[in-house]
Amino acid sequence: MAAISPQSTFEGDIFSAPMVHTDSNLLSCIEPDYKPFIPGNSLRRMTRVLKIGLTTALKCIQDSGITTPGPIVTGTGKGSLQDTEKFIKEIAEYKETALNPTPFIQSTYNSVNGLIALQQKCTAYNNTFVHRGFSFENALLDSMMLLQEGASHTLTGAFEEITKEHFYIKSRIGFWKEQPTDSRALYTHFSPGTIAGEGATFFTLTGTPSSDSYAAITGFKMLYKPTAEKLSVALKDFTTAPDLIISGRNGDSTYEHYYETLDQCFQGIPQLPFKHLCGEYDTAGAFGLWLAGQMLKAQQIPQQWFPFSTEHLPANFNSILFYNHFYGEQHVMLKLERV
Amino acid sequence: MAERVFITGIGMITAIGDNVAGNLHHLRLQHSGLGYSQYIDTIYKDVLPVAEVKHASESLFPLAGIPVKEGYTRTTLLGLAAMREALQHAGITDVQSAPTGFINASTVGGMCDTEKLYFDIINPEKNGSFLQYIDTLDCADCTQRVADIVGFSEHIATISTACSSSANALMFGARMIKQGLLPRMVCGGTEALTRFTLNGFNSLKNVDKQFCRPFDQQRTGLNLGEGAAYLVLEGESFARANNSRILAELSGYCNTNEAFHPTSPSPDGDGAYEAMKMALAMSGHSLEEVSYINVHGTATLNNDVSEGKALERLFGENVPLFSSTKPFTGHTLAAAGAIEAIYSILAIQHGLIFPNLNFSERMEELNISPVTTLMEGYPVNHVISNSFGFGGNNASLVISKYEG
Repeated sequence: MAAISPQSTFEGDIFSAPMVHTDSNLLSCIEPDYKPFIPGNSLRRMTRVLKIGLTTALKCIQDSGITTPGPIVTGTGKGSLQDTEKFIKEIAEYKETALNPTPFIQSTYNSVNGLIALQQKCTAYNNTFVHRGFSFENALLDSMMLLQEGASHTLTGAFEEITKEHFYIKSRIGFWKEQPTDSRALYTHFSPGTIAGEGATFFTLTGTPSSDSYAAITGFKMLYKPTAEKLSVALKDFTTAPDLIISGRNGDSTYEHYYETLDQCFQGIPQLPFKHLCGEYDTAGAFGLWLAGQMLKAQQIPQQWFPFSTEHLPANFNSILFYNHFYGEQHVMLKLERV
Repeated sequence: MAERVFITGIGMITAIGDNVAGNLHHLRLQHSGLGYSQYIDTIYKDVLPVAEVKHASESLFPLAGIPVKEGYTRTTLLGLAAMREALQHAGITDVQSAPTGFINASTVGGMCDTEKLYFDIINPEKNGSFLQYIDTLDCADCTQRVADIVGFSEHIATISTACSSSANALMFGARMIKQGLLPRMVCGGTEALTRFTLNGFNSLKNVDKQFCRPFDQQRTGLNLGEGAAYLVLEGESFARANNSRILAELSGYCNTNEAFHPTSPSPDGDGAYEAMKMALAMSGHSLEEVSYINVHGTATLNNDVSEGKALERLFGENVPLFSSTKPFTGHTLAAAGAIEAIYSILAIQHGLIFPNLNFSERMEELNISPVTTLMEGYPVNHVISNSFGFGGNNASLVISKYEG
């Protein structure tokens, strides 16, 4: 696994890394030094999400120790916003003449996938899903099907960026809180909207466990615009009591009721929300899964990231229920178990 | 043993027809849909040919089967028009009658409408109903609008792998059926012409000022098109129990990456070769059994050399009949794979080989040339349909005559 996020997740020990917070309603990624991963001449042309996407993918391959490249499947809700914005503006500014094609090429949603394949000389299956809160999750489904079909491993991930311009655009339809909110106190500030975030997260998935595995995915369900009843039934059917719940709760009063449904279905189970760490974005679910994987393997919770948690957290945990939704439309549940 | 996957309904809209029958009619008449744009706001309106659907967005609402309202992009309306026909054709009055998934494909989502409003959207001094288009900026918008109107709730996804997007959507749907996840899937793609994309391809110097000439020595690029197409896929056991009318079988498919260059294919067509070879192997059919290849054939300098070389490498001296139908429809990007999959089915059903319009001179790099006149009464049993995209994404489908 590998993650570039607003927290110090790319290098070092996450169990001692201090929590990064903001009161700007926007959590930006901590960008690493890209040079060990990407040659300088390529780096100059690449925009931010391409750099974080490619670098995270390469770090994930390193982390897995797998040397033969396999299928590459990703999800992104928005692709390279920087390039899309740039090309729209250059079309207007230069009146459609003498345009540089680079932003157009890089705005293509599968450009990160293409770069990973190119750099790894990987000619296997390659696919990109672009469906809001189901982008990463469809990539995960595709990858699990590939393993079933006989692939030995997949590189599966997600990447997203938030630009100032896009932050403003989404503020116009109520995506973010109107008042500056301390990210550390996200869950006590109930009001419409949440805080924005971004990140890139990659996983190596295999069909067989090893001593290096972080976790096993033993259950997976996506629900599109479910009613409260349907969600409640699905959650109860999904799993018996897990040891721990990781939830996508984000302080948005408009859609909080779905998380309340979760609370009702699993009363008394300790719950850790993660959006104060990464912010809200289409593929934030991938960050949540990464966090769950880290915790299951280490049998440890990065306590410094959850200072508000008054619940009694278990010393040992073997199973985690992950539940997240994106603005009430795409709902995802995953069951994770210790290997 | 994994389920066979059958095609039981098709629906489409392109520059040559508002439905499958209209498309077939103009294919037979060899009428191209290429012309000059009525609807894109561009300085290239009268310079670069495009294959535009012959309706203003307002008049697409009746075809989409919904009343005129804000927030519905041209991408969504084209998608709905094709979706309505596909479901009707498959005899599905209620998609909830059996668990049914929807896999859509799009390259730029609602850009066709948002590019006209973008500078208002980012201007704090502007306000108005255009704000309803903010959510149409991404690719999921068209998928969800179509899904919500038609009633899909079981599984939805949107794929974006440039020009191979809807071929990948068909593949993903077929795999979900084979894995037993769902018995019925509707897969395809929708694409509306945009100033963004036209300028994108033009900045790559990939657009021909004349009507495109695939596989011709004098070709200089592609013409863009727009449209939408969906295919209803059913697993064999479901199709039999449901007594579905089977149009054809999706017997093979393959997605490979070329890992060669961000926008160009390799000169020897390594990715195309591999995709066709593996898809055919999956179908269980031999090289000799392939009756027709609906090539990607964009008429860009690079694609046609690369794809042609791949055909020669795979089939040797015996390259099957092949043609590009892009001079009819333009290159419809995310919709192309599904549109051409339907053309492949029409070739099988009606014993037709469609001509590759605008061809006159064989490419110096190749020993093969495409079919140039309409062939009728030709037995077509197995068709390969190719879709190759940016990022080295290569997808081939094998569509076979249904023989029980």
